[in-house]
Amino acid sequence: MAPALATGWWGPFTQLDDVVVTHVDLVPNETNEQEAWTWLDGEERRRACRFQHNGAKRRYVLCRASLRSLLCGALSCRNHQLALGSSEHGKPFAAVDRLQAPIAFNVSHSGQHGLIALAPRGRVGVDVEERAAQRNLDVLIDAVLSPRERADVMAASGRQKLDVFLDLWTLKEALSKAHGLGLSLDVSSFEIPPDIRNGTRSGMFRMPGMPEVAWRLTNIGTDRFAAAVAHDEEGL
Amino acid sequence: MASTEERIRALVDANLNIEGRSEGQPLTPDLNIIDAGVSSTDVVAFWRLVCEEFGIDISAEEFAELLTPSDLIAYLDAHSG
Ligand SMILES: CC(C)(COP(=O)(O)OP(=O)(O)OC[C@H]1O[C@@H](n2cnc3c(N)ncnc32)[C@H](O)[C@@H]1OP(=O)(O)O)[C@@H](O)C(=O)NCCC(=O)NCCS
Repeated sequence: MAPALATGWWGPFTQLDDVVVTHVDLVPNETNEQEAWTWLDGEERRRACRFQHNGAKRRYVLCRASLRSLLCGALSCRNHQLALGSSEHGKPFAAVDRLQAPIAFNVSHSGQHGLIALAPRGRVGVDVEERAAQRNLDVLIDAVLSPRERADVMAASGRQKLDVFLDLWTLKEALSKAHGLGLSLDVSSFEIPPDIRNGTRSGMFRMPGMPEVAWRLTNIGTDRFAAAVAHDEEGL
Repeated sequence: MASTEERIRALVDANLNIEGRSEGQPLTPDLNIIDAGVSSTDVVAFWRLVCEEFGIDISAEEFAELLTPSDLIAYLDAHSG
């Protein structure tokens, strides 16, 4: 095991109440990738080898190693004590010496950017999407947005149409990932609140059929990427 | 008429970026599209395009279990007319 992980490829991005968000630099870098590899356990290495795509493998390896380093810091443990498991739909959780750790976290990567959100309690989801053209933008607009969200995107023109879509997409994905359902949640079944659609960076949201849970939803996007965080601090 | 595999292959070639794959090449039956490096936006668009091509409605929950060509083709052969 490597004695300490050089913090070369990740750094603070933003803090939202008690949710700390870290940016991970996913630009190809052989030294970082080799260093990151030494931090992965056997199962993570096998997972990395299943990726057919070098870019996907690099994103996984660099994000997983930085996640391990951040979790070791937050949980005051050593890398060999930490194991990452995943729930039924794939949401990762942490265990230290085989006991589930009291921390909420989530990871997202797209192109050259990764984001990791850590919170001391609750459930958290993060999503990032590089502002790159989408081949099937119209199909996506139709598949994942509500009629009012669709109208917002259609009212934008040119490049802005993509930006409005990606903002809505990452907000919905952050909620779906906080919840843990991943691909099996049909994100067209709920609508982002109008204040957030109209540009307010942060607000509360309750999903239909789950009124007891209040999610804090925050748009943390930049010019380079769309991104969002959802957090339910009362959650399990 | 084209087989289910040929129709899926045409949709893959026209809509998904899979590194190392050249157009028309047979699909790897057990390769999960997430492991092939396909982004979630492309997965969702692909889901809708498959539904359109085969004239059926597959729920998000069902599609999440059909991420390899062999599972998807078996499902479509059993469910589309
Ligand atoms: C798979 C999904 C979790 C995100 O995919 P993505 O945007 O390609 O990937 P991201 O980079 O944002 O996130 C990947 C990370 O999320 C985490 N993750 C995986 N499954 C998760 C889940 N069910 N809940 C929360 N987090 C999850 C993992 O840490 C993963 O990273 P890792 O493999 O490096 O550890 C999922 O939310 C998705 O694609 N949803 C689309 C919803 C939809 O409309 N489905 C319709 C049917 S296709």
